[in-house]
Amino acid sequence: MSVIGGSLVGIVIIAVVAVVIALAIFRSMWRVAEPNEALIISGLRHGKEDALGFKIVTGAGTFVVPGIQKVRRLDLGLHEAPLATDCVTQQGIKVQIQGVVIYKVGDDPASIASAARRFLDSKPADMDRNIQNLFDGHLRSIIGGITMEDLIRNRDKLTGETREAAGVDMQKLGLVIDSLQIKEITDPSHYIDSLAAPHVAEVQKSARIAQANADQDATQAEQAAAANKAQFVRDTAIKQAAYKADVDKASAEASQAGPLAEATAKQQVVVAATRTAQLEAGQKEQQLQVDVRKPADAQAYAITVKANADRDAAIAAAEARARQTTLQAQAEADATKLVGEAQGQASQARGEGEAAATKAKLLAEADGIQARSQALAQNQEAVIGQTIAESMPSIVEKAAGAFSKINNLTVFEGAEGMNKMLSGVVSAGMVILPLVRSVLAKTRDVKSSGNGDAGDTNVVQPLK
Amino acid sequence: MSDHRVVGKVGRVTGEIAPGHLGEVTIPIRGSSEAFLARCDGNQTVAVGARVLVLEYLPPRTVIISPEV
Repeated sequence: MSVIGGSLVGIVIIAVVAVVIALAIFRSMWRVAEPNEALIISGLRHGKEDALGFKIVTGAGTFVVPGIQKVRRLDLGLHEAPLATDCVTQQGIKVQIQGVVIYKVGDDPASIASAARRFLDSKPADMDRNIQNLFDGHLRSIIGGITMEDLIRNRDKLTGETREAAGVDMQKLGLVIDSLQIKEITDPSHYIDSLAAPHVAEVQKSARIAQANADQDATQAEQAAAANKAQFVRDTAIKQAAYKADVDKASAEASQAGPLAEATAKQQVVVAATRTAQLEAGQKEQQLQVDVRKPADAQAYAITVKANADRDAAIAAAEARARQTTLQAQAEADATKLVGEAQGQASQARGEGEAAATKAKLLAEADGIQARSQALAQNQEAVIGQTIAESMPSIVEKAAGAFSKINNLTVFEGAEGMNKMLSGVVSAGMVILPLVRSVLAKTRDVKSSGNGDAGDTNVVQPLK
Repeated sequence: MSDHRVVGKVGRVTGEIAPGHLGEVTIPIRGSSEAFLARCDGNQTVAVGARVLVLEYLPPRTVIISPEV
């Protein structure tokens, strides 16, 4: 059992080893082409009799029998070769071209086969150098086929010429030109600059015109803005001045309001003071009326009354004396007449009778008594008037003397009161007057009876 | 690998084909598009963008085309 078991394990191990070895062999024989490469397999004869005898594999894997077959890889990727060549254009203008040609191996089996035979052992740098040398010549013919203007502008023309000149040569090599790029054109004769000059001048002209227009517009706008600003400044200044005038006016009025009020108050004070002064003047005037004028008036009135009384007394006295004189003269005339008549009648009566004489004598006596009594009556009245007139001032003075004892006399009713008072005094004197007169008449009667007797005797005496 | 054939395919002109001059057409092939040099079978000019029919294949990279009617 153990021998059988051991041999089974040995078989399994050997099988496993065999599988591993088989996998290793398969792994070593299987080759895979990357997407950007082609496998060129040679060794066993492939294809038809007239074929080249190698197998081309792209994008897949394949068995390669080691030792019998040989596998090589051809890069199908992009290559580029720099170009730098002196060329002459169609117009005979010398230019120096710097460019690059971008190419690759064609994807069809024919191209791969052509390229494989030419470039399989070449390094990429060698391949690029070969293409560069090839294209230097092609580029001359390409540039020589087109004008300078087309070189600059017409890319289709350049591409077409490139295809025309180099396409066939390149496909012989199994290569495809993807692109020919002109990187730089050096132009010793300045043809391009000359070409550009009119356009440059035009563009510069336009630029300068645009610049000038823009500058003009900007200046215009700036000036307009400045003008607007100046206008705004002016408006602002005007408004500020107006407001300042208002403010100044208001402040001036405000500052004057105080003095004005003060002046008004002062004015009112002066008015009040004036009124006070007027009142004081009125008071003083009234006081003077009371203190000076009224007493003076009273005094003047007293003097006037006294003068009137004196005048009346003097007139009365003069009249009494004139009357007395008249009466005396008349009495004397009458007496003389009577004497003459009596003497005439006496002479007549002597002739007529004693009775008539007696009768005439009695009549004469009676007339004499009557005349005497009249004369006495007249004399008595005049004497009484004179006596009163003489004593009246002293009466009034006595009555007024009562006032002289008074220092300050207050009379309530003013001048009228004063008049009343003084007239009261005077009227009191006037009331006394008849009384005085009657007293004087009585005393006079007593005296005149004595005198009448004497007069009687004086008048009658001649009759006796 | 049936897609390797270009004859009978319709391509598009990418470079003007003038009489006596090589043009270029792009033809869908091998799951992609490839550019081929092209000549016209007639005496006429085919502008860029025109659809053309491939009549003949001249290996490795040249085709004869006919303007599609």
